[in-house]
Amino acid sequence: MARRHVPRDLAERLLAGPVIWIGLILLTAFALGPFIWMLLTSLKDRTELYATPLQYLPRHPTFENYVEAWTSPVTPFSRFFLNSLWVCSVTMVATTIVSVLAGYAIARFKFAGRDALLLIFLATQMFPSVLLIAPLLTQWRALGLIDSYQALIYSNFSFTVPFTVWMMVGYFTSIPRDLEESAMIDGCNHFGALCRIVLPLAAPGIAATAIFAFVVSWSELLFAISFTTETNMRTLSAGLLYMVGQYEVQWGQLSAGVILSTVPVAVLFAFLQRHLIHGLTAGAVKG
Amino acid sequence: MTSVTLATPRTRPLISWRVRKRMIGYLYLVPAALCMLATVVVPIFLAIKMSLYADVLYKPQDYRFIGLGNYLRLIEDPVFWHSLWNSVVWVFGSVFLQFIFGFAAALLLHQAFPGRALVRTLTLLPWIIPGVVVGLIWQWLYQPNYGFINDFLIWTGLMSERIAWLSSPDTAMGAVIFTNIWRGIPFFAIMLLAGLQSVPDELYEAAHVDGAGVFSRFWHITLPMLRPIIVVSTATRIIWTFNYADLIFVMTGGGPANATQITSTYTLVQAYSTLDFGYAGALSVVLLVVMLVFTALYLRVTKGVEEE
Repeated sequence: MARRHVPRDLAERLLAGPVIWIGLILLTAFALGPFIWMLLTSLKDRTELYATPLQYLPRHPTFENYVEAWTSPVTPFSRFFLNSLWVCSVTMVATTIVSVLAGYAIARFKFAGRDALLLIFLATQMFPSVLLIAPLLTQWRALGLIDSYQALIYSNFSFTVPFTVWMMVGYFTSIPRDLEESAMIDGCNHFGALCRIVLPLAAPGIAATAIFAFVVSWSELLFAISFTTETNMRTLSAGLLYMVGQYEVQWGQLSAGVILSTVPVAVLFAFLQRHLIHGLTAGAVKG
Repeated sequence: MTSVTLATPRTRPLISWRVRKRMIGYLYLVPAALCMLATVVVPIFLAIKMSLYADVLYKPQDYRFIGLGNYLRLIEDPVFWHSLWNSVVWVFGSVFLQFIFGFAAALLLHQAFPGRALVRTLTLLPWIIPGVVVGLIWQWLYQPNYGFINDFLIWTGLMSERIAWLSSPDTAMGAVIFTNIWRGIPFFAIMLLAGLQSVPDELYEAAHVDGAGVFSRFWHITLPMLRPIIVVSTATRIIWTFNYADLIFVMTGGGPANATQITSTYTLVQAYSTLDFGYAGALSVVLLVVMLVFTALYLRVTKGVEEE
């Protein structure tokens, strides 16, 4: 091994040893510290929460805050959770169907305006949701959709569809055409070939796309606060903000709520990670 | 008796195969096109129309066409100009430091060490959680009396008095930018990590044999090889941060005294709190124009990078 013979200089030895370890510890502490603080807060009771001097570790850990947040009639967290689950699930299924069809068309058919269309999907990914609030609010009011799940689900399409279509085009392009073509020679029509040949091959990509749509809808805040007025229609994000608006901020319950809304996306993300990173960086990395 | 049937010519398909294939393609695009039409295209035109009207939700009697009235108001509105400046501070403060720390994180996570996969996943956490959650976590950390940050800074002796970080105009912008940095580091970390993984090891080995030190290898190999991904990710991030309103809206609502009011939160406040849709429409159009300019620049820059 040629490189073994080259002596390592001091800078390199320092960088390979202590600097890396200190850096990694700092990085992990910085990334996780705020979560850990929130988790500790959620396990404290009232007196420990507002103790002076600050009490870092809960001496009598309790799940009281979780129970209260979940069952509170004023800020019904369980209801927020179910609302989010429903809105995000429907958004996920609809977005996936729409983007599979569109992604397949863009990847496989040649038609006028194909490049322009791709460009539009790319540009809309950068689109500010803020810009859409006033017009969408007017639109949903005219259609009588304020305080409905539909308004939230439709609005979510504005940011899920452009990105998922883009992702699906990438996955479909990576599947060789020959398989479909031979299926079509054997008498399959286009839709049959799509369902029987392409979809099974693209399944991991489709799953990643679906989870992505779920995760981003889970984070959505601005539409959720603008298009709902009833407490019972709030999603998790909107509900958390609503909890802040009530009287004084109940940090115990709020921290429990924060932890409860983080867990599902964190778990989903662990599955999604590799695919999402691939989707994000495809095209940006050469080779 | 035998009946004789004439062989009828096979009916030619009404539409040729080629045209049919094209039609199927369009058919598959219809749902996506409808989604975009209903949730993006129509609302944009609606926003442009709204911007030409006096349209305050709770004053329906005043609803009328006022031409460019909302835009004239915008030009004379000091808060609007202030918000544009704040946006610049917010975008460059956030993105620059996210990039520096994200690059450092990517270099660290690229090294081989036990438990690397786990550490990689954990350090991504700040990036995937909902914006409102990020805002609330940090609001609690910044809390003057019971927050961790004041307590920690006093303990280390860096500070002697408690600071109300988010309600003082001097510190509020710094505080929200710091939060945004925390949130955005993982984005640059994963993008640049993907870039680092695509650089062939042979390049480093050859440079090493030639006696290039670790810093010169970084300067002459890593940076040039990562240039495309640096350009793309930074450009994306600038546009995204300019548009991003959630965090500031949750943490300060643009306050105190508009100290953290950026253009996108100002638009949100007009549409959501003031319910002045005409004015919100005008602000939306301004945001749209800025966004289009950014995107055009972005496409130019990334195209240039790809052609290299």
